[in-house]
Amino acid sequence: MTKNRFTVALAGNANVGKSVIFNQLTGLHQHIGNWPGKTVEKAEGTLHFKDYLIDIIDLPGIYSLSTFSIEELISREYIAVERPDLVINVVDASLLERNMFFTLQLLELGTPMIMALNQMDMAKKKGVRIDHEKLEKLLGIPVIPTVAVSGTGIYELLEKAVEVAEKKVKTEPLKAKYGKEIEERIEKISSLLEKIQFRYPARWVAIKLLEGDNEVKNEIIKINPEIVSTTEKLVKEIEEIHEHSCSTVITSERYEVANRIAREVQEITPPIKQSMAERIHALTTHKILGYPIMAVSVLSIFYIIFAFGDYTSGILGDFLFGLKPIFEGMFGTGVVGKLVWGGIMEGIIGGVTVALPYILPFYFILYFLEDSGYLSRIAFLMDNFMHKIGLHGKAFIPIMLGFGCNVPGCLGCRIMETTRERILAAFVVTLVPCAATTVIILGLVGAFVSIQWALALYIINFVIIFFLGRLAFKALPGEPTALIMEMSDYRAPHLKTVLKQTWFRLMEFVTMAFPLIIVGSLVIKIVEILNLLEPIANILSPVTVTWLGLPAITGITLIFGVLRKELTLIMLSTLFGTTDFAQVMTPVQMIVFTLVAMLYIPCIATIAALVKEFGWKKTYLITVFEILLALLLGGIAFRLLSTFEIARLSLLIKDLSKI
Amino acid sequence: MESSLSDLRDGESGVIISIGTSRSRGRYRRRKKLVEAEAGGERGWGFRKRLEDMGLTPGTKVTVLRSAPFNGPLEVYVRGSRLAIGRGMAERVFVEVKR
Repeated sequence: MTKNRFTVALAGNANVGKSVIFNQLTGLHQHIGNWPGKTVEKAEGTLHFKDYLIDIIDLPGIYSLSTFSIEELISREYIAVERPDLVINVVDASLLERNMFFTLQLLELGTPMIMALNQMDMAKKKGVRIDHEKLEKLLGIPVIPTVAVSGTGIYELLEKAVEVAEKKVKTEPLKAKYGKEIEERIEKISSLLEKIQFRYPARWVAIKLLEGDNEVKNEIIKINPEIVSTTEKLVKEIEEIHEHSCSTVITSERYEVANRIAREVQEITPPIKQSMAERIHALTTHKILGYPIMAVSVLSIFYIIFAFGDYTSGILGDFLFGLKPIFEGMFGTGVVGKLVWGGIMEGIIGGVTVALPYILPFYFILYFLEDSGYLSRIAFLMDNFMHKIGLHGKAFIPIMLGFGCNVPGCLGCRIMETTRERILAAFVVTLVPCAATTVIILGLVGAFVSIQWALALYIINFVIIFFLGRLAFKALPGEPTALIMEMSDYRAPHLKTVLKQTWFRLMEFVTMAFPLIIVGSLVIKIVEILNLLEPIANILSPVTVTWLGLPAITGITLIFGVLRKELTLIMLSTLFGTTDFAQVMTPVQMIVFTLVAMLYIPCIATIAALVKEFGWKKTYLITVFEILLALLLGGIAFRLLSTFEIARLSLLIKDLSKI
Repeated sequence: MESSLSDLRDGESGVIISIGTSRSRGRYRRRKKLVEAEAGGERGWGFRKRLEDMGLTPGTKVTVLRSAPFNGPLEVYVRGSRLAIGRGMAERVFVEVKR
């Protein structure tokens, strides 16, 4: 029997439990990728229900359908162009008014729709009672109360979805009416629009034109400039009447409708006792206490991740390296054996010992915190600090991730609203010292120079981030966005959803980074087998020896560092044949080497992440820039420190001669 | 009394009069200028639209719950939910306060 197939799009505000519903519906049959050419996550899944095969698209969580963010643009394009058979509007029952504002806009797009009135349990706790039958009547679409975390109402939601998609029930969606003077003008524009071909419904376009939506305006102008000029005249008329800009008037009136509906269907009796969530909220955003709480949370997260990572990484490494004899038995110790083991397997081992032990708990904790609501509090506390480098509070999260590993940091930049902000944040992330960089700083400078110098390097790094962040902020064209973010109530994270998000993210990392790591490690192995390492080191010697004052050998290690930064240190000890670096390098050399290694290039996995998010051109620019920057600063540091050293030595000699 | 949202103390409420595109321009009391300030060209449009989409429309009551230290963002209560708003943005939201 052939199955009937249809497509459902989930749409709604952020933090309404949309991803939980998505997970409840699709289970493990899902695929997470990006929207074509966009740095916005696209989650798709399939579901078998009765005789139907249902494709489900989880649209990004948004508050409106204007063009403020890429997410909003993508969502409306998807609904208007791809025309899903049904939209499920997921709504937070405890925040009906705000959610209804978005619902009204979805209705204007004219796609068949049903509503999942979600988080009914939380609404009840907050003393909000909703007459969902009345809401159904007012909106003219089916409304199903759900509690996604426990699966309540999901079956009914699906049954209704099938009925509506199959057009077994007739829905008569509400058309939000604006004031008379606006309705008249919408009519006027709509009748003009009906004569042209456009992918959006005429009424929707008319409203968007009145709102001054640039995206729509620019497209209509190409088809029929007269419509736009007529609109501009009508906009002026409305502004004369209301003494506010036309978009303000329309938004206000839409909110009025949302407010009226909400008031009609809900009854609120606020609980007398302050809830636990409220108390935690007050504490974590407290003027003074908020910061130590945040510091302790962030530091303990890093501690847990590193402790866990170090331990598991060791075990995994031992196990995998233990396989070497087996591989040598199979492929021999000749060229083939070397390529298979030293090239492919060591690449895989490198990836596995990083990805699983560090990235896995990292993602898990991240999604746990995000789902609980704590991340938005951190963004709130850090907003003004982030403004100092031209970003806003939300950017703190990818940057924090960057300290663990730059890859999730770069991918985490998706939480920023505009492309400009995303690139800015990603650029800053690539400059952040990741765990591997920390290994170099502490293992070389910290252990063999002094811990003060190690700290100094961190401070230098932060100063660089500060200046470059500001510089990039000034240099990049476009309008900076400020922080505007909902702080939804704290809640217990839904473990299954968190686990799934962790899993799919991890898979994304593996599929993206592993091929490059393996290819990179293979290429280097080939170079090694061909005995090209020394010639390359010699070619690089003008830079490494003359400009940076380093041993020629470091050229090779810096090449290996592209794979994974901590390899620079490992290779250094291999090539020098000692781990006592004090014997082979001067303190100045160690500091310069670490400084260069810290900044010189995003590692290959980070490059892969950047390419995926921003394309080759921008990645190339960032990479080249950082290499040049590292070399420039390294050279300067070498000269400064050397003169400093000579001055100190001559002082020492003077002192000695006195004796 | 007319005041900028960012000048409100924790716990104070006001009713939104307008959202200007810059601190000074929004202060225009004259009606015609107000419309112009709101229209504000390309630069201001996105940010004002964003605030309005989040429910900060003229005539709406907004309460400052708390503000982060060191000139940080404000936490406001509007239309039944809590929002964090950067200070720079809050400076351009003009409210009528009853003191």
